[in-house]
Amino acid sequence: MAPLLNRVGPVPSRAHTAPCQEPPAPRLIDRVTRRHLLGVAASALLAAGSVFRLAQAPREASPPVALDDPPSGEPLPGAPLPGEPSFDEMYRGRRIQGESVASRDPHAPGGWSVTVDGRPLGLMRRADGGYLSTVDHFQSYATPLAAARAAVDELGPSQALSGRGH
Amino acid sequence: MAHTRKNQSSLSRAERRRFVDAVLKLKRRGEYDEFVRMHIDYYVSDGEDRLRVAHMTPSFFPWHRRFLIEFERALQRIDSGVTVPYWDWTKDRSPAASLWGEDLMGGNGRRSDRRVTTGPFAYRNGHWVIKEGVTDGEFLTRDLGRPHDPLDLPTRRDVAWAMADPRYDVPPWDSRAPRGFRNKLEGWTSASGKERWRNHNRVHRWVGGHMLGGGSVNDPVFWLNHAFVDLLWDRWRRRHPRSAPYLPARPPGPGSSQYRRVVARHEPMPPWDVRPDDLLEHKRLYTYGS
Repeated sequence: MAPLLNRVGPVPSRAHTAPCQEPPAPRLIDRVTRRHLLGVAASALLAAGSVFRLAQAPREASPPVALDDPPSGEPLPGAPLPGEPSFDEMYRGRRIQGESVASRDPHAPGGWSVTVDGRPLGLMRRADGGYLSTVDHFQSYATPLAAARAAVDELGPSQALSGRGH
Repeated sequence: MAHTRKNQSSLSRAERRRFVDAVLKLKRRGEYDEFVRMHIDYYVSDGEDRLRVAHMTPSFFPWHRRFLIEFERALQRIDSGVTVPYWDWTKDRSPAASLWGEDLMGGNGRRSDRRVTTGPFAYRNGHWVIKEGVTDGEFLTRDLGRPHDPLDLPTRRDVAWAMADPRYDVPPWDSRAPRGFRNKLEGWTSASGKERWRNHNRVHRWVGGHMLGGGSVNDPVFWLNHAFVDLLWDRWRRRHPRSAPYLPARPPGPGSSQYRRVVARHEPMPPWDVRPDDLLEHKRLYTYGS
């Protein structure tokens, strides 16, 4: 039989993304506190962002499709059109930013560069046109923005991204 | 000699302890995290124009079968009497099930930060520090049943729906495949709301926390879910003896959207250079008991 676990590809070291090596408990408390303060400071911005988003008239989620529908090979309704706008907003106390980089980096994951509080969020493209994130591999979203917000929902108030991609 | 994988609910106290001890030792040696990394590295989504062997693809079953065999062998180098138990989530459906007891998987994450605080994989015991995750927390997280918006584990009916399909897989051989046992059991749909997750995918969603994301192998219950998924593949084959046991038989051609993106029955499956056809039978290696 073949040897165990032939590793493929470079595996990024977390040492590059972990800013410091503090004892676990104080580190968490420190992080929660910083998050909390950031969240308070950002709430005004968040309100402003909501107004901005309303003005953008976001698309509705795609309608449910019967399970046994034949595959069309086409993106689902609601999948992002070319030129899906970049975003930079506060969402639940987190800064989420995203821009399409497909034109200058065809190998970028999902064709987008998305960050949460400055740390990269790995995005992948699903064949139906949707986007999956490394935080939630089992649900796809119509836009990178929706995937980023869902990742923030899943992270909750006390977790941050490690910066690890796929 | 073939060994037997047992239902986790029928393990003796000693069997539970030996399994947990072997997993903890593998972690201490650094080998466990190799498995976590490998699963992250091989998660290729079907919207990407490259070969995908592990998910959203016909080789979902054989790839994870081999992955489990490798894990089980690693455990057996530590304790030759250990096998990977399976979790029949159609029967053991509650966070109160013995699966989540102190001497096996430990319990749910706490509400504030989803940190698992009981059992062998609780952070405070010092044996289970997350090193390969997509989040920066060092503790294992769970969100069993997603209490803020509850959903149930897949049911016997969900499994029966997949099991009744006589085709192993169908074009386009990805998460959009409208029929076929593989996609129905892996669990991708085009539905919305809570119906979007079926079977294997729904179990990942139900456990939540680490099991939801790229670092799902960080939660040892990953292996118990996949052992049951592997058992269900056996059941499907017994139920459909005349069906092709694996499809596609031949690689999709240059005109197909799946050209060079899926593994056909006799093609090598990275990283092991083993073909799906080599993994259709496993009785020399292991069998499933009750």
